[in-house]
Amino acid sequence: MASSSVRRGVSRLSHLLQNTSPLASSAHSCSGRCPGLSSGELAPFGSRMASSQIVRNRMKSVKSIQKITKAMKMVAASKLRGVQVKAENSRGFWQPFVALLGDHPDIESKKNVILTISSDRGLCGGINSTSVKFSKAMFTLSASEEPAKYVILGEKGKVQLQRDSKKNIQMVVTDIQKMPINFTQISMIADEILKNVEFDTIKIIYNKFGSVVSFLPSVATIPSPEVIARESEAGGKLEQLESYEIEGGDSKAEVLQNLSEFQFAAMLFNASLENACSEQGARMSAMDSSTRNASEMLEKLTLKYNRSRQASITTELIEIISGAAALEAAS
Amino acid sequence: MVLSLRVMAPNRIVWNSEVGEITLSTNSGQIGILPNHAPLLTALDMGVSKIRSGGQWSAMASMGGFAMIDNNRVTILVNEAEVSDEIDPIEAQKDYEVAQMELAKAEGRKRKIEANLAFKRAKARLEASTIS
Repeated sequence: MASSSVRRGVSRLSHLLQNTSPLASSAHSCSGRCPGLSSGELAPFGSRMASSQIVRNRMKSVKSIQKITKAMKMVAASKLRGVQVKAENSRGFWQPFVALLGDHPDIESKKNVILTISSDRGLCGGINSTSVKFSKAMFTLSASEEPAKYVILGEKGKVQLQRDSKKNIQMVVTDIQKMPINFTQISMIADEILKNVEFDTIKIIYNKFGSVVSFLPSVATIPSPEVIARESEAGGKLEQLESYEIEGGDSKAEVLQNLSEFQFAAMLFNASLENACSEQGARMSAMDSSTRNASEMLEKLTLKYNRSRQASITTELIEIISGAAALEAAS
Repeated sequence: MVLSLRVMAPNRIVWNSEVGEITLSTNSGQIGILPNHAPLLTALDMGVSKIRSGGQWSAMASMGGFAMIDNNRVTILVNEAEVSDEIDPIEAQKDYEVAQMELAKAEGRKRKIEANLAFKRAKARLEASTIS
């Protein structure tokens, strides 16, 4: 961006330089040949006019970047407020499931599915890379007779995982954030996943929202109804389920199936909301540090600009005075 | 001895207090819950649950979910729920009649299922608004 504005600045300068001294125009041709001239570096032949123009253009572009990142930070802050309330309200929704069934990441399972939640847009710090790193680690850890499969939510995760695990990706869902996340939308996605993907357990990997500056990569484990039935026999991990009377369906298996599907939708809902919160928080801090960097750059550039301006004024004065002195000496 | 009841929808907590008795509607009938009930896990149908708190009965329309009862703690998770005093009875009656008409003239399997769900929802809301 800086080099293109330099090029533009130099061509604007060329209009001014049409009728002026060959000194300036040769400097223009020099800068024209090397548009990547960085700010502050005086072009050869001491044409300070061109260099201060370069610095001024660079300052303009840095200032506009600063304005943009500041606006993005405020937008992210306001979006965060909205999603944070929803995420906190949704936490109560999955806790009863964990209270009933517990959380067993080490449950025995042959067909593992890893569901990675990522964002659709970038500029949000490192959260997508963290999610992908953890997904790859989970993938290696859960290797059994069959390799695990990926289901990916979000554009950024898809791009990163496609690079080296393309054949293990089973399903990709993108553009979720076009509308605000709600439970109906998530239950439809959950339905699609349950229809098309066979699994013993699904591990949902997402960034849990701790605070505006802390995002914890987390994994939520959802066992399938068959695994729940198997583990609720005596000696399994879900033994306490046996003490419950199970009503409300034609058979215990049917109720457990509905329960597992409902649990999946509830956890996915909470996980997407938490990830959306983390995304906005990470974007806020990324844009904040961009703005700060931009203002630091602007300070340095201002100093350079003033120095080059004063140097050119001094040179002109010296030329005038030495010219006047030479005339006097001659007369 | 009281039951502590929590009813939760995905976006909010609908009920969170201590109550004396609950009547749930499941697809195998109505179940009454009194203190010291055995541990129970049941699926809920789209219907009306009645809650007695301090001698007063109130009703709640819920759109399907699960109820877990353990140790005098009742946790109900629903897709959507409305307590009777949030429902406007006149509006509920109108919705019910509209849904009834839609169900009668629905064509095609998909429309029939949608109309059926809308009808059940309107019926539950109407029942809840008229009970208490």
